[in-house]
Amino acid sequence: MLASQILIDGFAISALYGLGAVGFTLIFGVSGVLNLAHGGVMLVAALIGWFVASEYGTGPFLGAALGILAGLGMAYLTYFIVVRPIQRSRVIPAAEQEIFILTGTLLWGIMIQVGMDYLFTDNPVTMRPMFPGVVNLLGVRTPRNELMIAVICWVVIGLLWLLVNRTRAGKQLAAASINPRGLTLLGFELSNIYLLVWSIYGVLAGLAGVLLASFLGVSSGNAGQLTASAFSIVVLGGLGSVSGSLVAAYVVGYLETVTAYLIAPTLRPIPALLLLVLVMYVRPQGLFGRR
Amino acid sequence: MSHPISVRGALLCATRLSAAVGLAAAVGLTAAQAAEPIKIGVISEEAAVAGASIRHAAEMAADEINAKGGVNGSKIEIVAYDDHSSAADAVRAFQRAVNQDHVKAVIVSYISEVVLAVEPWAARLHMPTITPGAASNDISKRVHDDYAQYKYMFHGWLTSAFIAQSICDGAHDNLVGKLHMKTAVVMSEDAAWTTPLDVRYLQCLPQAGLQVLDHIRFNPDTTDFTPIFNQIEAKKPDVIITGISHVGVQPTVQWHDQQVPIPMAGQSSQATTSTFWKDTNGATEGVITASAASPGVALSPTTIPFTEAYTKKFGASPSYDGYTSYDEVHYIADAIQRAGSTDADKLVDALEKTDYVGTVGRVQFYAKTDEFTHAMKYGKGFVTGVEIQWQNGKQVCIWPADKCEAKLIFPSFVKLPQQTAAQ
Amino acid sequence: MKRLIQGPGLWIALLIVVVGASGPWWLSAYILGVLTSAYYFAVFAMSWDLLFGFAGEVNFGPTFLIGLGAYGAAILNSTMGYPIPICLVFGVAVALVGGLLLAVPALRLRGPYFGLITLVSVLLLRNAIVIFAGVTGGEIGMTVPDVLSIDANVNYWYALAFMVVCAIILFGLSRSAVGLILQASGQDAIEAAALGFNVTKHKLAAFCVSAAFSGLAGGMLVFYLGTASVDTVIDLSIAVQIIIAAVLGGRRTILGPALGAIVLLLADEALRPLGQLNTFVVSGVALAVILFFPDGLLGYLLHGKEE
Repeated sequence: MLASQILIDGFAISALYGLGAVGFTLIFGVSGVLNLAHGGVMLVAALIGWFVASEYGTGPFLGAALGILAGLGMAYLTYFIVVRPIQRSRVIPAAEQEIFILTGTLLWGIMIQVGMDYLFTDNPVTMRPMFPGVVNLLGVRTPRNELMIAVICWVVIGLLWLLVNRTRAGKQLAAASINPRGLTLLGFELSNIYLLVWSIYGVLAGLAGVLLASFLGVSSGNAGQLTASAFSIVVLGGLGSVSGSLVAAYVVGYLETVTAYLIAPTLRPIPALLLLVLVMYVRPQGLFGRR
Repeated sequence: MSHPISVRGALLCATRLSAAVGLAAAVGLTAAQAAEPIKIGVISEEAAVAGASIRHAAEMAADEINAKGGVNGSKIEIVAYDDHSSAADAVRAFQRAVNQDHVKAVIVSYISEVVLAVEPWAARLHMPTITPGAASNDISKRVHDDYAQYKYMFHGWLTSAFIAQSICDGAHDNLVGKLHMKTAVVMSEDAAWTTPLDVRYLQCLPQAGLQVLDHIRFNPDTTDFTPIFNQIEAKKPDVIITGISHVGVQPTVQWHDQQVPIPMAGQSSQATTSTFWKDTNGATEGVITASAASPGVALSPTTIPFTEAYTKKFGASPSYDGYTSYDEVHYIADAIQRAGSTDADKLVDALEKTDYVGTVGRVQFYAKTDEFTHAMKYGKGFVTGVEIQWQNGKQVCIWPADKCEAKLIFPSFVKLPQQTAAQ
Repeated sequence: MKRLIQGPGLWIALLIVVVGASGPWWLSAYILGVLTSAYYFAVFAMSWDLLFGFAGEVNFGPTFLIGLGAYGAAILNSTMGYPIPICLVFGVAVALVGGLLLAVPALRLRGPYFGLITLVSVLLLRNAIVIFAGVTGGEIGMTVPDVLSIDANVNYWYALAFMVVCAIILFGLSRSAVGLILQASGQDAIEAAALGFNVTKHKLAAFCVSAAFSGLAGGMLVFYLGTASVDTVIDLSIAVQIIIAAVLGGRRTILGPALGAIVLLLADEALRPLGQLNTFVVSGVALAVILFFPDGLLGYLLHGKEE
């Protein structure tokens, strides 16, 4: 019974971590950007989705759709206001671009969080479940919504895989992540590719934010934690590796769940952090990293 | 030849002149006094619903006092500071309020960690300070242990010990008396105010008739409560007694979504706000929580008028600390009136003698010799708080019996002892 | 740059210090309080700059070292009652040990990995403090029985003197031979190694210096405030503020971050009447500075002069 609970609970939360992490690692892999405003993007999607659904009485689906759009919008804002100006800046030395993007997105993330605080207060919000009720799975009473969230995450990840491996645009993305210079030599416009990846990122992060709000609830105070969590998972899996992020998400998700059930809820985040430290010392490029 | 000035004329002239001067002086003095407002600092968390309530209610109280002419001819001015839920920020705001803005009293926060950080500064800077919502026993314990230094601090709400006691009293009447419950699990967030709360729970719940099967403390940053609810369910208690304030929406929503068959009662601060139904999309149906006041229940003649005026002005009913904050501004003004000055030590003396019928009941403070010096007196005839249950989108008062008679209703997935017995 | 030290630069710096020292006579107690905290923050920022600006390592967790120093000193003082100087030394020792434990493996990592390890170290320390709440006071924090002084003026002078001394030492280090090697290692590690310098040894030394000063400043801050809490010395928001202060002030200048810290804290307080949005405005301005004046305030002033 306990084992089934751990299995199911861990699966759902890992799927959600995975969705968030995949977007994060995609941005790094293709454009070399570590977006520290990641939590902020998810937060905006969650809050807008909740706001629309509850203030205007639209159903949870429409709310979710608008939330995802908001996430997309915020991703674009992040790219055009913070990231692109730094990448194209003449006054910032190229070798230090990374540091500036880190600091810039960090500041932008703070601005998003405070802005959301001002508009919505720091109260957590939850989206009404899209699929209410409970089912009995392996003898465990599980909310239907939780299962559907896991399913949605995997469907989206599958679609992403199809996009990257089967479409032309996707293949350009993959190529850009391996050798951007080579791609430009072949005549492809990198800026279009960046735009594409940020669009995908916006949808993924937006969806992750909306689903998180539906499953567990989100508050502006979570923004920093969400970013740190995605960062940790992505580094564990290997920066730039999508499959690595997915595996790492499940490792972290299950580690946390097992700790919460079998050791103590207060110690939940510790083993994952310790694992991260261990991996950093033993295999710094992560489980599937190639650099 | 000089103009003849009769002595009588001179005397008359002198009298008129001095009268005029005296009158002018009197007018000048009162004008100067009336021009000098009495400032009260309010430090709270603007981003949090409960924090904003503190400021709104204080401003409402100040407006009312000023409409009636102020205190000793001076108007009350509320100077507000946002502490961003940070103890360090609150301390800096406190220093600014005292040293820069020259306030005469400070109302600070509903978060125990913040109030405990500000308290030593109230002692150092000799500033009468009161909290409308924090609960930690330490706030008043420090006053008891070092009265000379800490006498400037007042605890304007029930301490954790008394909150727990009121919940146990309510449990005795409702949960054990009416619903025949026998066992409970205590579930609280790991924070300053819950440490003494839980200690008292573990003492008074068995005395009330509920055996405590387990005691779970979770990290206030927790977002996934599934393992916790599963752990509790495995013990099969009749009720979950909560101690939560930093969290509220998430555990409640997850409790509902997972259809945990055990009712929740105790203290859930977020559930005391009127927006909680919307925040949880109705998942709070059936949740019981202790609160300062309940809609429609007249704890005193001023409770309902205040609630209605606040709701009309701000679009939502006040949080529990709105009631206490409103009362505090009133009895601070009252103390200033009685003391005849805003001098810190005189104000402290006057505050100690407070006997004020506020929106939450009759407010008096414990004395130097009592265990919880300067804390709010608990008990029948003073302040007991109420217990409310969310039913069909409304907060319904269910305790104390002499003020509230409503029946308890639970959602269908909750299993009560009679039901399990019947099965 | 040498011209700057011997020329007008030195006199300007002296003037600023003298004006600063006279503060208690013309500034309110409240502003003195803000500046006192700002001076300690300035030392945090300068220590960070030594590591980042010169050794090229982005430390996301300066608060790991600060927190170790702060809590080390606080715990020794409250459990054993030793006088403040001994507790400060102990705090520095704890910070050094922690710094070494972190640095030795961490310096084998590059770029974002190093940053992540420093970030994780802060999270671990925070969790440790919360878990061992019995000794550390957990999230509420702990009070220390001894304070530097109850007098606002005395506290101000302590902080000012401390900052000036640290500034002299750190600035001197940065301009010394060691500092130049560090700068070379930071900007082009391969070439520096090719020239025969033991890059790792020098970076480790920088790490230790940064740890020592951070830990000491953390301890001093605790004995000024009278409390140590996760909120005031460990929280990620503090780390963020340090990084912002350093970049805002001008990286690789040591003195720039000090300036940035003071400006940042003053601006934060000045904008307090804005209520919630003061953080928004400050972050917004910092972001604008990063985009358009990446060399920071001091960097802009200096390079402006050189052109």
